[in-house]
Amino acid sequence: MSMIEIKNLHKYFGELEVLRGIDLTVDESEVVCLIGSSGSGKSTLLRCINFLEEKNEGEIYIDGQLVTSKDINNIRQKVGMVFQRFNLFPHMTVIQNVMEGPITVKKMAKKEARDLAMALLEKVNLLDKADEYPAMLSGGQQQRVAIARSLAMEPKVILFDEPTSALDPELVGEVLGVMNDLAKEGRTMIIVTHEMGFAKEVADRVIFIHDGQIAEEGTPEDIFDRPENERLQNFLGQILV
Amino acid sequence: MDAIINLANNSIEFFKTVVEFAPKFIPGVILTLQLAFFSIILGMIIGLVVAVLKLTKYKWLKKIMNVYITIVRGTPLLLQLYFIFYGLPSLGIMIDSFPSAIIALALHNGAYISEIFRGSIESIDYGQREAARSLGMTKWQAMKRVVLPQAFKRSVPALGNQFIIAVKDSSLASVITITETMLLARQFGAATFNVFPIYFTAGVYYLIITMGLTKILSMVEQKLKVNER
Repeated sequence: MSMIEIKNLHKYFGELEVLRGIDLTVDESEVVCLIGSSGSGKSTLLRCINFLEEKNEGEIYIDGQLVTSKDINNIRQKVGMVFQRFNLFPHMTVIQNVMEGPITVKKMAKKEARDLAMALLEKVNLLDKADEYPAMLSGGQQQRVAIARSLAMEPKVILFDEPTSALDPELVGEVLGVMNDLAKEGRTMIIVTHEMGFAKEVADRVIFIHDGQIAEEGTPEDIFDRPENERLQNFLGQILV
Repeated sequence: MDAIINLANNSIEFFKTVVEFAPKFIPGVILTLQLAFFSIILGMIIGLVVAVLKLTKYKWLKKIMNVYITIVRGTPLLLQLYFIFYGLPSLGIMIDSFPSAIIALALHNGAYISEIFRGSIESIDYGQREAARSLGMTKWQAMKRVVLPQAFKRSVPALGNQFIIAVKDSSLASVITITETMLLARQFGAATFNVFPIYFTAGVYYLIITMGLTKILSMVEQKLKVNER
């Protein structure tokens, strides 16, 4: 069953057409990696899915439901988002960050939310940091908290917007490790990434976006070993040297 | 030699007057504290409401708030006090002197505080709002739970400045018959012709209040800093 269905999505920033007719279907439990050079529109596509950017044209269905800006708060509860710059709430401790969504949005009882948060922090290996503030954590730890925070809403899909791009190289692995675990659990994930090795290993499908359109898509083998599109060949040539 | 004796005598006279009049200032100082307290508390409430309303998407609300801020910041506080206490009665609105002073001072502080709040709200990284919204929070929940607590912390130094100004500005309430510290000083001065020690005493009282306020604010600031590197 398709978890996300995007039909003919267009997005303009002023005169500039950033997304030029995207059609994309993501199935349940599928892991899709979006790759492409900067400015190609891949982050914009991701942000349009949970309406952080308002689309100009096209339709987005999540879990079979057409998304409109009216019921966006409900839809966002089904769609988790992990940001490049983590965006943890600095005035809350780690565990408060994770509890915040369930308590404020789902009106979950504090005790229940705390148990949930503890379980999630254990999953991302940060139980010992529960009562620290985000500023005390490394980038990799912060990003793992951010993942736990989005998991706390029990989303049906998780969107990752370049989750490792702001990290020191030695911290990338721990975040990718957590994401790998989530993929194995059968989570539906859409990941904008520059980590080609990770995309190769984890993705069910890789989509190359160029100039606001899907230029090529296929299995990681298709994309990385037998790229057909000339742009894709150039792109891979530049980053895989 | 004469000059030295003269100076000593004058000094003794000066301190005698200070000691004599210091307790007589207490009722005025209490009024000053009351004026400052209420105008700061109400000014904060007004400031917060105005700042939040200015950030809504409704253009007409934004315009009304801008008119308020422009008028209050663009005219002297002295004039605003006269207007509320002496001007409004001619429109049939009579307000006693103390509430008049509170209203004028609170509206005045509110305009400045709203700009302090707006600045600090806008200084919060947009990613914070996006993270809150992507959890499914409404705009208001994101504001209340995520943006305002951080913005408030950032506004403390500027607020402290405004609070000190509020304490000193409360002296203008003397022009609408409120016998706070400055009006008392003027009355004592006129009665004794001994102006210097009396204004000196008033000045010391203001310094004590503003220094105490500064101390409290720096304690608040320290307390709020705990979760930062």
